[in-house]
Amino acid sequence: MKNNRLFFWVLTGPGTAFLLLFLILPLMSIVVFSFWRTESYHLYADWNLDNYRVLATNPSYVTFLLRSLFMASVVSFVSLVVAWPVAFFITRYGGQFKIILLLLTSTPFLTGEILRVTAMQQILGPIGLINMALTTFGFDPVTALMYSKTATAIGLIYLWLPFMVLAIHLSLLNFDFELLQVAKVNGARPLRAFWEVTWPLNRAGSAIGVVLVFIPTLASSITSKFLGGPNGALFGNILAHQFGSTGTWALGSAMGVVLFVISLLVLYIVWKSIGDLNRSGITIKGGAE
Amino acid sequence: MSDTVLTLEHVSKNFGAITAADDINIEVGQTEFFALLGPSGSGKTTMLRMIAGLETPDTGRIVIGGTDVTRLPPYKRGIGMVFQDFLLFPHKTVAENITFPLKMQRSSDTEKAEHLQWVVNLVHLEGLEDRYPHQLSGGQKQRVALARGLVSRPSLLLLDEPLANLDRELRKEMEVEIRRFQLELGIPFVYVTHNQEEALTMSDRMAIMRDGKMEQVGEKFSLYHNPTSQFVASFLGSPNVFSGRVSAVDGEIATLDWHGHAIQARAHGGLKPGDAATCYVKSEKIAIETDAGEMSGEIRDVIFKGQYADFLVLLDNGEEVTVSSSHRGQLVKGAKTHIIWKPENADGFPAGE
Ligand SMILES: Nc1ncnc2c1ncn2[C@@H]1O[C@H](COP(=O)(O)OP(=O)(O)O)[C@@H](O)[C@H]1O
Ligand SMILES: [Mg+2]
Repeated sequence: MKNNRLFFWVLTGPGTAFLLLFLILPLMSIVVFSFWRTESYHLYADWNLDNYRVLATNPSYVTFLLRSLFMASVVSFVSLVVAWPVAFFITRYGGQFKIILLLLTSTPFLTGEILRVTAMQQILGPIGLINMALTTFGFDPVTALMYSKTATAIGLIYLWLPFMVLAIHLSLLNFDFELLQVAKVNGARPLRAFWEVTWPLNRAGSAIGVVLVFIPTLASSITSKFLGGPNGALFGNILAHQFGSTGTWALGSAMGVVLFVISLLVLYIVWKSIGDLNRSGITIKGGAE
Repeated sequence: MSDTVLTLEHVSKNFGAITAADDINIEVGQTEFFALLGPSGSGKTTMLRMIAGLETPDTGRIVIGGTDVTRLPPYKRGIGMVFQDFLLFPHKTVAENITFPLKMQRSSDTEKAEHLQWVVNLVHLEGLEDRYPHQLSGGQKQRVALARGLVSRPSLLLLDEPLANLDRELRKEMEVEIRRFQLELGIPFVYVTHNQEEALTMSDRMAIMRDGKMEQVGEKFSLYHNPTSQFVASFLGSPNVFSGRVSAVDGEIATLDWHGHAIQARAHGGLKPGDAATCYVKSEKIAIETDAGEMSGEIRDVIFKGQYADFLVLLDNGEEVTVSSSHRGQLVKGAKTHIIWKPENADGFPAGE
């Protein structure tokens, strides 16, 4: 009995301590700072709600937040749509190449974020691959791809798509593809069979993928900084700004808290959207009764 | 057959080097219970999958209800199918599972409700409509799978070893019920199994499969009593096997020399004197007597099964033969007996297959 308890702490202790030290404590300090005041690059501990009042009333902050929310929604949705066929075919027909195909989806990560975004610039920018090719053959360059929100979106999708593919693939590994044949024998066309069987039974995978793409996109700043152009700043850029040149750490902290709360909210909504576990078939693998 | 529902003409299918179906010809009539019987790997599932449209034959034609469906996708064939491991949709309730085919046909809600009511009563699933598959027993899952196959009143129902995952008692019960559904609905069932008892109990006609080939097709009685293929003779009814050399052939009957005894059997495959032959005799077609006779020996063991018993007889020539017969008091272990069978109850084939 006593041994068991010791064992428990030995196993879970280091992880818990790590989380406390590097996740919960900084988070708490940010929450605390968000109620303080900064002046001339100094933090003053006089408690107030000013930072939140500024965020709620200054239309530019609201605009940036809405823009980031919209960007995260679009990026998540497009990633979901693009990732599904990829994950489906890797899982269904990948055979012995399944693992290597999956690892290949992660090649963008081998280079680091800055380099990746720069690579995107090489393709989308004014002297990038696409527009160079167009101008060489006498066409007008596609300005929508040059330093625009579209470019940012493409860059973010490229960045986070592997997570979406991975989440759906892992979900499909537990999926019995024979159920699709059952649906077809019973009169379902392929798309209908997907909608009736594959989609609902892998909703959890889609949901996890959406979370993995939505939350980092919401807080992202680097991609929009490199690809977004002068009018492409997102909430993350403004947030980074507070900790940089303007030195308004308290306001920046409040913005961080807002992001955190919204992320929790997104988690909650996604969790609710999975809904009745019976309906996602999770119960067949020894889940809830 | 005047009212043929399903026809397979010269259907073949290879998977690489494996021949799963080799020039198969089948006709199934309107009210028939047709069993496909064969050992595991003989190509039974492949045959059903081709009929359902889940597999395309390399050559040949499949006709259902007068329409050539060989190249038609499964969702356009309008047939029902029951799968071996049930394959219920885990995220749908019993009622939703059962009405799935109707939903795909865009039936009205009233029609769905009517059909559901009818089929739930037929297969005895009353009160379970709102459960999920993981809340059902094996037998109940099987009934749901059957109900899903029957609910749209298809022109043909395919069943792939539907009872293989049930325990013996439940299987006996379901055998009778499945046969009852078929008679009640008046549609053909094509029933795949590796269990000969199941096939013999339920079917009208059956086909015996081996290595993708159809060994023999016909009424079950004719297959059981008059096998024309060596495989069928050796497969059905776990027969005794006698190997010897043909000493004489008189019309249909061959005489074999078997360890000093002259035994008689119907001659198949052009047996002629001098040939090495194998002869199959089902254990219940051998008579066991307590008086003296030509093939004599003593009872080594009695395996009592209730309605009948298996007697292991050790003949004087050192060979052992199993005889099934009703249990009698004199037939005890160690008793002297002789055995005998009518020539038309034994089937001899050229040896070496
Ligand atoms: N998709 C497939 N790919 C390769 N071989 C297969 C495939 N399906 C079946 N086979 C082979 O075809 C033969 C017949 O299989 P099957 O129809 O499942 O037999 P049964 O149902 O009688 O056990 C087997 O040797 C099996 O290994
Ligand atoms: Mg099979």
